[in-house]
Amino acid sequence: MLVINSLTKNYDGFTAVDNLSFKVGEGEIFGFLGHNGAGKTTTISMLVSLIRPSSGSAEIAGYDVVKDNLKVRSMLGYLPENVNLYSNLTAFENLYFFGSLSGVENVEKRINEVLKDLEMHSWKDTKVREFSKGMRQRIGIAQALLHKPRILFLDEPTSGLDPQGTKSIRDLLLYINNKWNTTIFLNTHLLSEVKKICSSIGIISHGQLLMTDSLINIKKKFGSEKSLEDIYFRIEGDQNNGENTVYSI
Amino acid sequence: MGKILSIASKEIKTAFKDKAFLAVALLFLLLSILSVYIGSATKNAEITAYQDIVNLLKSQGATSIPAEPKIFPLSILKNIINYVAVIGSIVAIFLGFNSFSEEREEGTIKLLLSRPIYRDQLINGKLFGGAFVIAGLLIITLVFNCFLFTVVSGMNINFAEFSRLTVFFVFAFYYMISFYLASLFVSLKSQNSTFAFLLMLIIWMGVSYVIPQLAESQKNYVYVLNNISQTMNQMPQDTLISKTIEIFSPTVQFKNIGRDLLQVVPEHAQLSLFTLLKLNLRSIIYLLVPGLFMLFGSYNSFLKEGN
Repeated sequence: MLVINSLTKNYDGFTAVDNLSFKVGEGEIFGFLGHNGAGKTTTISMLVSLIRPSSGSAEIAGYDVVKDNLKVRSMLGYLPENVNLYSNLTAFENLYFFGSLSGVENVEKRINEVLKDLEMHSWKDTKVREFSKGMRQRIGIAQALLHKPRILFLDEPTSGLDPQGTKSIRDLLLYINNKWNTTIFLNTHLLSEVKKICSSIGIISHGQLLMTDSLINIKKKFGSEKSLEDIYFRIEGDQNNGENTVYSI
Repeated sequence: MGKILSIASKEIKTAFKDKAFLAVALLFLLLSILSVYIGSATKNAEITAYQDIVNLLKSQGATSIPAEPKIFPLSILKNIINYVAVIGSIVAIFLGFNSFSEEREEGTIKLLLSRPIYRDQLINGKLFGGAFVIAGLLIITLVFNCFLFTVVSGMNINFAEFSRLTVFFVFAFYYMISFYLASLFVSLKSQNSTFAFLLMLIIWMGVSYVIPQLAESQKNYVYVLNNISQTMNQMPQDTLISKTIEIFSPTVQFKNIGRDLLQVVPEHAQLSLFTLLKLNLRSIIYLLVPGLFMLFGSYNSFLKEGN
């Protein structure tokens, strides 16, 4: 579904993302792990065609994110970090707007379907400014799902949520993945989140990919008695000690 | 086109849900109505004063009666020139100052640009939305003014005068759109809506007050003897420097065109519309350029951002 080859982004001499290469299969939930400032958001911004890579390439379902950017954007859903939507408009008005931009046919019917799936239907005529952070995230996910995307990019979707809200978003992502086999690319720095819902992960630090594999293989490689936290800190520690090992199986 | 219309319709919806914008737009409408009322009342007072003098002279047996003052119907609406110049530009600024900066602050710009749309479609959509709101406001003003004008002043305007009034509103539309485009450009360049608003206020003050005052201070003044009251009147005369300074103020250009179109300048009051536009060609060009410049700047800046 997603193939990344030597993807790099430079800003005035600073390399935010350095030579990333990995693949994400169809129907996977891929956790892209890294500390704040590691390059996760820059990577996702290139994948959803918000910014152009300095070099390298990425393909979604065989379409290049730069050359075929309109086609790519029509098949992806995206929820950036801390998005507030249009707070003066109702949930329905927000969704109608984004649905129209995505060219969704029979948009009203589709909005009702998605809102029912996300258990937000009774709130559709409420202004978004009256929503809690968790409800806003649900509406944000709803806008990303309207056009039935094949891949969903979520940037820290549980950031700022309480444990209840975090769990509810996590359950929702599993439901979306199970129901429509939607590939999910999840940017996060929360190891617990990754452990609970992801089938494979990539770890990025200082713009460089340190490791990518399925969770099962990682456990095998590092020993099943080790927690994901231990593994993460070991890999990060290796890089900080200058070893620059890229773990890939 | 469908996507541009979706963006435009969202802009219109958002504008009509914004209390600050609604307050300024309402102020603009009220002032324009007031301008018709004040203009008509002044005209009625002039006619009454003339009738009183005529009656007085007749009662004193005077044979020479002064001619009836010539009142050009559209000059009754002259106050609207200032209201558009000052409040109209503020309305446009309120409409556009947060167009992009708020999208950045709220994170919605990322959502928009991750949809299958081109960046220029986003600018076009916002421009259409703003233009629709401004045009709607001006059409309401035009209809209201024509109705009130007829009811309060009791005068009717002929086709030529209606054409002048319509062309005036076309220029008013462009003048307000210029400020909207400037706000779009500033909003595109700013990360923060408060900063964008303050910057637009500074630009507005500069264009509407500072530059015209600078030009005024560069004018030569000649003294003319008023034979009736036996007083000296100070008459400003344009100089090359004052005219050059005025080029940088669309407000001055709009007022120049507006005064001619609304028959405020008696010598131009009965010229044909075509002749009038030809006479004001320089002002029209100076009015058009800043808006086009801002539009080009917005496209250029926003398209570059994607690289």
